Amino acid sequence: MLQTSNYSLVLSLQFLLLSYDLFVNSFSELLRMAPVIQLVLFIIQDIAILFNIIIIFLMFFNTFVFQAGLVNLLFHKFKGTIILTAVYFALSISLHVWVMNLRWKNSNCFVWTDGLQTLFVFQRLAAVLYCYFYKRTAVRLGDPRFYQDSLWLRMEFMQVRR
Amino acid sequence: MGKKQVRPPRALPPVPSAIQDDIPLSRPKKKKPRTKTPLASASSEGLVQTAVHRPPEGSEPPTKDSIEHQEAPVQRRQKKTRLPLELETTLTQKKTASPSLLPNENGINVEPDEEPVIQKPRRKTKKTQPAELHYANELGVEDEDIITDEQSSPEQQSVFTAPTGISQPVGKVFVEKSRRFQAADRAELIKTTEKIDVSMDMKPSWTTRDVALSVHRAFRMIGVFSHGFLAGCAVWNIVVIYVLAGDELSDLSNLLQQYKTLAYPFQSLLYLLLALSTVSAFDRIDFAKTSVAIRNFLALDPRALASFLYFTALVLSLSQQMTSDRIHLYTPSSVNGSLWAEGIEEQVLQPWIVVNLVVAVLVGLSWLFLSYRPGMDLSEELMFSSDVEEYPDKGIKVSS
Repeated sequence: MLQTSNYSLVLSLQFLLLSYDLFVNSFSELLRMAPVIQLVLFIIQDIAILFNIIIIFLMFFNTFVFQAGLVNLLFHKFKGTIILTAVYFALSISLHVWVMNLRWKNSNCFVWTDGLQTLFVFQRLAAVLYCYFYKRTAVRLGDPRFYQDSLWLRMEFMQVRR
Repeated sequence: MGKKQVRPPRALPPVPSAIQDDIPLSRPKKKKPRTKTPLASASSEGLVQTAVHRPPEGSEPPTKDSIEHQEAPVQRRQKKTRLPLELETTLTQKKTASPSLLPNENGINVEPDEEPVIQKPRRKTKKTQPAELHYANELGVEDEDIITDEQSSPEQQSVFTAPTGISQPVGKVFVEKSRRFQAADRAELIKTTEKIDVSMDMKPSWTTRDVALSVHRAFRMIGVFSHGFLAGCAVWNIVVIYVLAGDELSDLSNLLQQYKTLAYPFQSLLYLLLALSTVSAFDRIDFAKTSVAIRNFLALDPRALASFLYFTALVLSLSQQMTSDRIHLYTPSSVNGSLWAEGIEEQVLQPWIVVNLVVAVLVGLSWLFLSYRPGMDLSEELMFSSDVEEYPDKGIKVSS
């Protein structure tokens, strides 16, 4: 069974990483006095996303549903989060690589092209959706029903099998 | 009873003496005057004696005690000084707090003696402090024993066994606080310990679900704030743009020059607030449950509309990132390498201003929609109280 204190700790860590992600997405364009600053911010951001992915999977592994072998049920319930997080991670890395590549020599020049602008919009939109889905999943995993056998779980399992 | 006879060691509490070493410097003078008055001194000595020498003299009558007081002056002096200190620190409070209780316990035994005896009770309670402290730890069990002792002993062994049965039934417990013993009601202590037990029992009810719910509500509060702040910011922004641009956008170069420092910070702030607001709005319609969200949108639910408007505003705002950066890097067209060629200003700025205006309108409308019913939150209902029928007990707890 998930301990309340442990869950609070994990949840706060997740929110910390999420808020860092939001912060970098918002203000990284402002903080480009030197290319290195942006580089470090981006690297930490990507690591934060990776950490969040690891944490959410560890939380999955900790559920009774997973330990009972009902991985499919978990995936079915949270596939939106899993897919979106993966997509967002890929978009982030590609945008970061592209931007850093363009700005490495001169961080204060105008580098925008239509392609970059498009990628930028998609990455930022994915960030918002990721934030929403991830937050929702993290909060939902606090539901004690995921950590014990119950009628609800059996019914869910039946639904998924059908 | 056996316990009580073992008490003698208590008569010379090691801890208090250490305390006294510190205290005498400040208070000794006060005590001496008191002890010098014959009655008081006699009484206090008597008290000391009975208390201190209790164990050896257990069977001897109290009168002997009084004789002994006079014979053994040296030791008594020392004890005398000790006792007053204790009196000052702890018993003075006790006096005020529990006048009725003390007489009850000792009165029966001591009454045969004269006046000084009346004070006796206090002394004894002092002496019993260590024991009481000990009991305080095990209040529940000891209380029962105490009552039976009191009932059996007092009348039968009235004179001789003064110390034995007396100390127990005290209503006071002495708790050491900041190196002093202070009187506290036994009943209150029991209550507090009970409370602790109760709170221990209550703790399990603060489940992970409650943590999740409180986090969710906290985020909703942030969302409510960001909705309003975003609406205000967007309106302020568009007003500033139109003011700087002059009548019918006739003064665009002025707008560029003035606004170029503001453009990028505002774009960043706008994204931050839009992201927060969008997530918060999605929360309200439980966007993840697509069917419910679409149904709500088709039913023109204000929350669903607000979510849609926020998302549209977000897309529009993001699409202007390139232009914002261009404004941010503005240099007059005369400057070499300028991004702003002659005559291009209106062509670039016109759509940018329109988009900003639309964003402001969308954001303002969303805010109106959401503030119409700020308490409504579909995801809280669906996520945290779903399957109420299956788990009526849990459902009630959550919905409350």
